[in-house]
Order: sequence, then structure tokens, then C-alpha cells
Amino acid sequence: MKALGLVLVVGGWVIAVGGLVASEALALRLATALLGLAASLGGILTINQGHNEHAIWKRKGALS
Amino acid sequence: MRDIRWRWLWAAGLLAAAIATGAPARADEEPPAVPLTTADLKQVPVPSTEDLAKGDPGGTLTGNAGDIVVADSKAGLTFADVVTQVGQNRIAINFVWTLIAGFLVMFMQAGFAIVETGLCRAKNANHTMMMNFMVYGFGLFAYWVMGFALQQGGSAGIANLGGVQALNNELKLTLFGKDWGLFGTKGFFLADTTYDVGVMVLFLFQMVFMDTATTIVTGAAAERWKYAAFAISTFFLGAITYPLFGNWAWGGGWLSQLGANFGLGHGYCDFAGSGVVHAVGGLTALAVSMILGPRIGKYNRDGSPNAIPGHDIVLVLTGCFILAFGWFGFNPGSTLGASGAGNLRIGSIAVNTMLAGCTGSFGAILYMWMRYGKPDASMSGNGLLAGLVAITAPSGFVNPTGAVIIGFAAGFLVCVSVEFIERVMKVDDPVGAISVHGTCGLFGVLAVGLFADGKSNYGGSWNGVEGSVTGLFYGDPGQLVAQLIGMCTLVGVVFTLSYVFNTLVDVFVGQRVSADVELEGLDLPEMGALGYPEFQLVTPGLGRSIEVGG
Repeated sequence: MKALGLVLVVGGWVIAVGGLVASEALALRLATALLGLAASLGGILTINQGHNEHAIWKRKGALS
Repeated sequence: MRDIRWRWLWAAGLLAAAIATGAPARADEEPPAVPLTTADLKQVPVPSTEDLAKGDPGGTLTGNAGDIVVADSKAGLTFADVVTQVGQNRIAINFVWTLIAGFLVMFMQAGFAIVETGLCRAKNANHTMMMNFMVYGFGLFAYWVMGFALQQGGSAGIANLGGVQALNNELKLTLFGKDWGLFGTKGFFLADTTYDVGVMVLFLFQMVFMDTATTIVTGAAAERWKYAAFAISTFFLGAITYPLFGNWAWGGGWLSQLGANFGLGHGYCDFAGSGVVHAVGGLTALAVSMILGPRIGKYNRDGSPNAIPGHDIVLVLTGCFILAFGWFGFNPGSTLGASGAGNLRIGSIAVNTMLAGCTGSFGAILYMWMRYGKPDASMSGNGLLAGLVAITAPSGFVNPTGAVIIGFAAGFLVCVSVEFIERVMKVDDPVGAISVHGTCGLFGVLAVGLFADGKSNYGGSWNGVEGSVTGLFYGDPGQLVAQLIGMCTLVGVVFTLSYVFNTLVDVFVGQRVSADVELEGLDLPEMGALGYPEFQLVTPGLGRSIEVGG
């Protein structure tokens, strides 16, 4: 889960920068930048999901 | 009689015609230019030593032609001396301005320290203060060794500081026919040719900015971060992560060249560091907080959060005021000068900073009042900081109306973000640093692409592109795309670097203290002394009471 998230985070940046060189059309660059940002933010949520699977408050005998 | 009248009228007409045709002719006749010579300078009166010895209570004698530094005392004052003095005065004004602004930013460390400590429990006061105290030491050392060189080593040409021509080497990669500046290579240890007056001013100013980024992390990771791990993590942030993004945005790197290379507005624009300083700090704080996990007692078994109140709201709000004061160094100081090249805009930048901070606190208090029925003190403070963080990037490019809107939106945004991070992501951030600096830092970067009004003029160009920075609402959608690419880089690269490095620290050193240490409080086990040795410390809800001192 964490590795997948990390791939998404970096992949989002690659999409955004890739859009720069793929086309000179502003609309396409805007679209790839937005898509890349969404992918990267989604990646962070995915990594966090991985951390929460074994969160301290889910463990048996955890103080709460 | 009639003839006499006609003669008078005829004469008056001729006179009027002569005046009408003669006036422009006289206006065209400019006095011949008389060149100012060194001989003229000798005529400028200089008060005698006897006059000055009588004292100058009115201040009319002190500061005169005799104070101009002459190159050759035998030759006396020359025209060249005057011109040289004018040039040096401009640079001196800019040096003093930038240094004083840097001193203000340095004092923000005190604000961060007491805000974070006040929002933590008393049993961790010493530990939290010591983290904030030592980011100054660890961060500065890392930045002196290599951080500054990576960030600014290729940024020669800063005219406001005399050019800093010694910083003249940027490592670039050529891809798709474009140069992509990656990092600088001059200025390690401030040695060799970078032992230069202009470079020193730039170093001091940039160093305190870096220090601000590192201190953001300590707040989010407070009350559970092992001190050794904090030290290593801070060193890495000051040496690598922060300088890399700083170079791309401010040091002539590839993000700043998006305008020149790809026609996207003026490239990535971040006037004083919503992205470079705050989003870098905030995203690193997010990475470290995720790795550390929440404090014991923060979440119940069903995932619902518990409030863990800080121990001193007086400290928190006092710290917020100190930060707001320091921000007047942060934003207006980022012109790196007060004289020439459009730098008189410092007044607008200061007012924008003030307005956004005020509307930020207003937005946050309004949100909390409407949602929970009470104005929340700590969130009012965070709202002030959110507004200041959000206006940091656009402060030099927007008008007061834009600043008010940006600040107010950030005040709302920080409250929504705190709730999202705490309740949806279940990431524990004791002080709200991820939301204040990360979320609102990214928003500030975006705001440049929306609100920049195209009225600023810093020497006629920005990032090598002629004209003024202009956002979408004022007609340039390309600037918005450049800002979005910057945001993607912050999230995609800065977060990744911080996450991977801190994961390695977790594997080899361990990021988190043991449960026993956490429950006891980090002051004694980690620091060897309590923050408040004569207090009785009680941890509500955990059934633990630690009696200390007398």
C-alpha cells in the first residue's frame, strides 16, 4: 500500500512535467498539471492508509 | 473716433498673434546645457570644524559634502567620488534593509517555539522548546556546509545586493532542447570567492528562511519524536530537501524558468516562500507525522479523535503575535532591497501581509464560532498564521483586495484542513502545522496564479521574463499552470524525499520514543530535565499523575 502510494505521488509529478514537453497547448498543460496534482495527493492518502492499517490505536491493549 | 478704435483693435490683434506665435518659440529655447564638473563640486559649502565643534542640535550641519568618501585626498572631491557614493548608498540601503528583515525572521524562532510549546502538554515543554531551539543550530550548520551552495550557488545577478557574481555555477541538465537547472555548486562553507559582502547578506537572509521550514516539522511531530531522529531529520532538510526546491524556485532552477523555457507566465513565482518555506516544511511535517503515528490517547479504538489540549494558551497567542511581527521581515524583506528596481513596493507588501493575517484570523474565528458555537483561541491563532502563510507567495504581486480575500479564504481553509487531517486521515498534528503551513502554503502558491494583478515591476522583469507577474483573474492563465506545476513538484518531489529519508531514519535509528517515555513525558527521559520542575503534572484521561519537584 505504501509503495503503491509512493509510485502515485511521484507519478503525479511525472504526469505534470510530462504535459509540459508533450504539448504546447495551454489547456492540455493545465489538464495534465491538475491530473498530476490529484494523483500525487491521492498517493499521499494511499501511503497514509498503509500506515493506518497498523496504527497504534488499533493494537490490542493500546491505551486510549 | 471709429478709426482710432479700429487701430487699437488692429494693434491688439497683432500683439495677441505675436504672443501666440512667440510663446512656443520661447518654450523651445532651452538654456544651454552646462556640464557639472569636479570644479563645481569644490564650490559646495562644507561646514567648518569650528562650526561643527559647537554642536549641531538642529541636525542641519551633520551629513554634508565633506562626508562623501574621496578616492584621493590630495585631489579632493571629484565627480567620480559622488557617483561612486550614490551607487554604494543604494547597495548599503539594500544591505541594511535585507539584514534587518533577516533579523526579524530570525526572531520568529521564538514565536514558533512558544506557540508549539504552549500547544503541547507541560510534561513535554522542555523537549518541545529544545527542538525549536536546536533547529537553529542543526539547520544553520547544514545550510552553511552545503545547503546554501545547492540553493543559491548559481544565482549570480541579484542586482539589489551588488550582483553576488561569485555565485556563478548552476548544474544544468539539457532535456528536450531546454536547460533544466538542478542545483548550484558555488558557496560550500562560504569559502573561496564566496567570502563576499553581498553573498554574506544573502546567506543570512536565506538561512533564517530555511530555519523557518525546519521548525515547522517539530510542531507536528511534537510529544513523541526521538531527539536523535529529530536532529538527523533536521540536518537532511536543511542540507538537501529545502535547498533543492529553493534552487528550483529562487536560485535560477528549472521551475523559475518555466516562463522563459515554456512560455508559462513568469515561471513559478513564489515571492517570499509559501511554497519554498511553508509547503516544504508542512509536507515534511506530514511525512514525519505519518511515520511517527499519533500520540497515545489521541484516537479511540473506533478511530474517533480525542482533544489533547495544550498547557498554555497565553504562550500560544503571544507566539502568534511574535510571528506576525516577524512576518514583516519575511515578506517585505524578500525584495532583497529598498532602493531602486521597483523596491518601493515594500509598503504594499507590508500592508498585504498585515491584511491577510487579520482576515485569516477573522475567517478562522468565524468558522469556529459558526460550527462549534464558541470562538476558539488556538484556531484563531492558527487562522492568523494561515493568512500570513497564504499571502507569503503572492504578497509582492497582489493588491490589498486580493490580500484580504486570500487571507480570509486561508482562515477558513485551515479549519477545514485541521478537521480533515485529524478525522479523515487520522494523522496527529498537535499544533496544526500541516494545515497551517502545508495546506495554506500550497494555497498561497495557487493564489499567485489567480490574484497577481500585473502592477508590480521589479526592474521590469521577473525570472527573466519581461513585464509583470499576472494571474488568471487579470488575464494570464499560463501563470496559473506554472503555479500548478510548482505545487505538483512540492507534493511529488519534496514530500517523497522527506518521506523516504525519514523512513530510513525510522529503520536505522527509530523515530518514535517508547510508550513508557511518551506517557511519562519526554522532558526527563529525552532531555534530562523537566520544563516545569516545581509543578504537579497531571495527564487527563490517562489515569496517570506524575508528581515532581516540591
